[in-house]
Amino acid sequence: MKRAIVWLRNLLHRDSSWQEEIDSHLAMRAQWHQQQGVAPGAARLQAARAFGSRLRTLEAVRAVHRAPWLDALAQDARHGLRVIRRSPAFSLAAVATLAVGIGASTAVFSVVDLLLFRSLPYPHADRLVSVGFSGPIDTSEFNVGNAYLDWRDHQHVFTAMTSMYPGGQCDLGEAPALRVPCFQVEANFLAALGIVPAAGRDFRPEDDQPGAPKVALLSYALWQSRFGGDPGAAGKTIRLDDAPVRVIGFLPRTFEMPQLGGADVLLAEQLDERVARAPNSTVFLRTFARLNDGATAETARQQLLPLFADSVQRYVPPPLRREVGLVVRSLRDRQIHEVKLASWLLFGAVLALVALACANVANLMLARAAARKRELAMRAALGAGRGRLARQMFTESLMLCLAGGAAGCVFAWALLRAVVATAPEALPRLPQAHMDARVLLFAMVVSLAAAVATGLLPAWERLSAAALAGWHSAGSGRSWARPVLVASQVAISLVLLTGASLLARSLWKLESESLGFQPRHVVTATFTLNRHRYGSAEKQVAFYAEVESKLAAIPGVSRFALSDTVPPSGGMRGRPFSNIQIAGHPPVPEQGGMVAFRYITPGYFRALGIPILAGRDFDEKERSGTETPLILSQSLAERLFPAENPVGQRIGLGADGQWTPVVGVAGDVKNSGLTDAPQPEYYLLRMRQSWALGLSGVALLETPLDPGMLERWVRQQMAAIDPALPVTIETMQAKVGRLSERARFLAALIGLFAFFGLLLAAIGLYGVLSFLVAQRTREIGVRIALGATPGQIARMAVHQAGVWTLAGMAAGWALSAALARIARGALFQVSPFDPLSLAAAALVLALAAAIAAWRPARRAAQVDPAVSLREE
Amino acid sequence: MGIDTGSLEIYPSGLGNAQALADAHMKSTDRLFGSLDLLILKTLAAGPNHGFGITLHVETVSKGLLHMEEGSLYPALHRLERERLISGEWRQTDNGRRARIYTLTAAGRKRLAENEASWSSVALGIERVLRFV
Repeated sequence: MKRAIVWLRNLLHRDSSWQEEIDSHLAMRAQWHQQQGVAPGAARLQAARAFGSRLRTLEAVRAVHRAPWLDALAQDARHGLRVIRRSPAFSLAAVATLAVGIGASTAVFSVVDLLLFRSLPYPHADRLVSVGFSGPIDTSEFNVGNAYLDWRDHQHVFTAMTSMYPGGQCDLGEAPALRVPCFQVEANFLAALGIVPAAGRDFRPEDDQPGAPKVALLSYALWQSRFGGDPGAAGKTIRLDDAPVRVIGFLPRTFEMPQLGGADVLLAEQLDERVARAPNSTVFLRTFARLNDGATAETARQQLLPLFADSVQRYVPPPLRREVGLVVRSLRDRQIHEVKLASWLLFGAVLALVALACANVANLMLARAAARKRELAMRAALGAGRGRLARQMFTESLMLCLAGGAAGCVFAWALLRAVVATAPEALPRLPQAHMDARVLLFAMVVSLAAAVATGLLPAWERLSAAALAGWHSAGSGRSWARPVLVASQVAISLVLLTGASLLARSLWKLESESLGFQPRHVVTATFTLNRHRYGSAEKQVAFYAEVESKLAAIPGVSRFALSDTVPPSGGMRGRPFSNIQIAGHPPVPEQGGMVAFRYITPGYFRALGIPILAGRDFDEKERSGTETPLILSQSLAERLFPAENPVGQRIGLGADGQWTPVVGVAGDVKNSGLTDAPQPEYYLLRMRQSWALGLSGVALLETPLDPGMLERWVRQQMAAIDPALPVTIETMQAKVGRLSERARFLAALIGLFAFFGLLLAAIGLYGVLSFLVAQRTREIGVRIALGATPGQIARMAVHQAGVWTLAGMAAGWALSAALARIARGALFQVSPFDPLSLAAAALVLALAAAIAAWRPARRAAQVDPAVSLREE
Repeated sequence: MGIDTGSLEIYPSGLGNAQALADAHMKSTDRLFGSLDLLILKTLAAGPNHGFGITLHVETVSKGLLHMEEGSLYPALHRLERERLISGEWRQTDNGRRARIYTLTAAGRKRLAENEASWSSVALGIERVLRFV
């Protein structure tokens, strides 16, 4: 940019320098005349006369400095512009086609670039990895304190290893406090990531000692909003979770956490090694590392395996040992592993769309070339070289493609805004996507590629000597390029349609997948208590009692229940299957993964419509008793009691010797997403005086009323209990809808692209067929004159279209089969060879082809031999 | 490069006044055999000079027989500069005026030697043809 400005200034300066040179010449000539004795005025006049036209000279000087190719380009561009203006319909069609292709691909690129290509905001980000155990407890890799400390002290694979506590929030400022994302990280966390604070200092080892005074780094946004970006603000004190914390520094503006997402506050982890190393300690961590030079994630994993095996022996309870593995993977994989496939599918689909658009425009150009054959032959006869003609044609397609690219950028901008507005959470980083220089560069590259693709083929075809020699329009005619173009359009279009129909069917299966509960008419209010202000069991019990009495009393609430978690988004508490005991039975088998559980009040099953399959529901009266009753989920009941009636059995849930009675069996629900099998689970009744309620709570309110109105009342009531407590209110339906948001997003976008693709392929087929019919009018006239019926003529035209379409469809099927393996991961309960989806795609395509072929065929059948034979 | 180094007109149109007619006997330095380039290069061989200095030099040395057309001079100077035969620079002249002063480069000196030789042979050839009876 800067260089361009300097160049431009030189350019302008050059011109004024030339003018000054001429002026200086005139002045010297006038002075010379004056010295000869001419009066000053007359001398100037004489000088000007002798010089001649100042402007013409200046123009001649400028011409010296202008590159000759620029002149030729300007000439080509002028001619191209004339041609484009002379056929506005053609130009509009070409530009619109390209705009759709380039626009869609640019919009998708702006999204997937952030996920697939753009480097993460850390220096040498490709060296950063996430390290940890994979296991049934978490979907992402995690670590445990004692194993991490061993690895950190003994590994030789990484230049640095660092850790943080998983997830966290804290309340910032005075009441009403702001709940902000807040993480506790090891002192070397930022250094390992390669991040330097924007102001102030990083954590030091002494900040990280257990019991050290609390210090924090704040986000750039907080620095700006709370301290006006004052670099001297480090050292000030803020209130965090109702305690004073000294701010030591501020994070850079682009900082993001390695597991994705922002952080407003970073605190020192202050991991107590004595606690973490204690037997049976359960300190969970996320761990990240920077690879040694030359190492890859895979080699690092291999080298870390002995340490991992040692940790498993020491710290993992025997029943879980077989279910854990070691994960070392790049930060990018950690962040996008779920959406990598979706991103590539989207990107592939839009590139296919661009190819379709290019094929269409190339086809249009070919058709027009045929119409311009006389003009080109004339120009060739007048001495235009082959290269000059090719350049002329290339300039034309370049102009069309650049116009298409510019229109495409506008389209991309609109599409991107629509996508971000409708489905902001469908893909990570989606709201960050915008049209920046990199994205515009992509659009530019695609436009140029399109210009090459659409310009070169016609230029090559057209300029074959035979085409140029022939003055007669009847000449060679049959070219292979157009049928091949049409067939490949059909093939690409079929691949897109097949993908779209597979995704649609997968989405349909996903959405009709039974959740095990009814999400209708239920509003949830989710909150997490501040662990400092609600530190004691008494405070928690009092709080929950008040929530129950106040929310249940809201008019219009027909059922009310309180739980610690709700399906279908996970986050439940869990315990290993193997430490469940059944009274009077042998111990359960050692393996068996995790069992989830939640604490609920009696209205829970009825509010969510979960059926009680055996025994009975909880009763309100039981809540004051001494024994906590329990209800099993169907799958857990079947595993624990394959041959007995579970109701009436007693189950031991810990080492404390307490036995709880099973009073019923409830239907299975989906707890962690739609695609996972139901997890075994049990429910415990929330006793009135229970100390085990936890800090997280979800209130469920069933109501026939408008959820929006209810939300206001719930907020009012919650604010009356604790004005500083942030509450998230959402309908159950919205929670469930979010589960299939990504699938819906993918199906909708690929469906849209498939629709565009079909449209382009149909237009291409129509165009080529019409052109061929027009070109063969004479032949058709002769045939009719010799006795062919209109039906035979129509069949002849349709036959040709049918051959191309079938050839294209065969290629499309082959291509789909080749891609099936890749697409499998994006499908839910649908095979990539699903006959229904494949047939639907083929049917739609055949229908479109038939519609496209119909009009040209009819026109062929209606040719009047008398007219057509007289035409030449 | 195919760019005109001068027009074939003796004077720009619209200048049919007495002065022009009086000068009509002077030969135009048209593009005959690259004579304009030759004159420029030869003049600069005597020392750096500005555009007006070159015209004046040619007129004086040819004793008024040659008149350098100024509208053609400047494009020619710029073209020669682009070909790196001469180099131009803004400088102060002796009487304190700013002017663009051109200097012959090494390449220009070489070109001048070639052109001088070919000019002499062309002139000799034409002379012989004209003298043939």
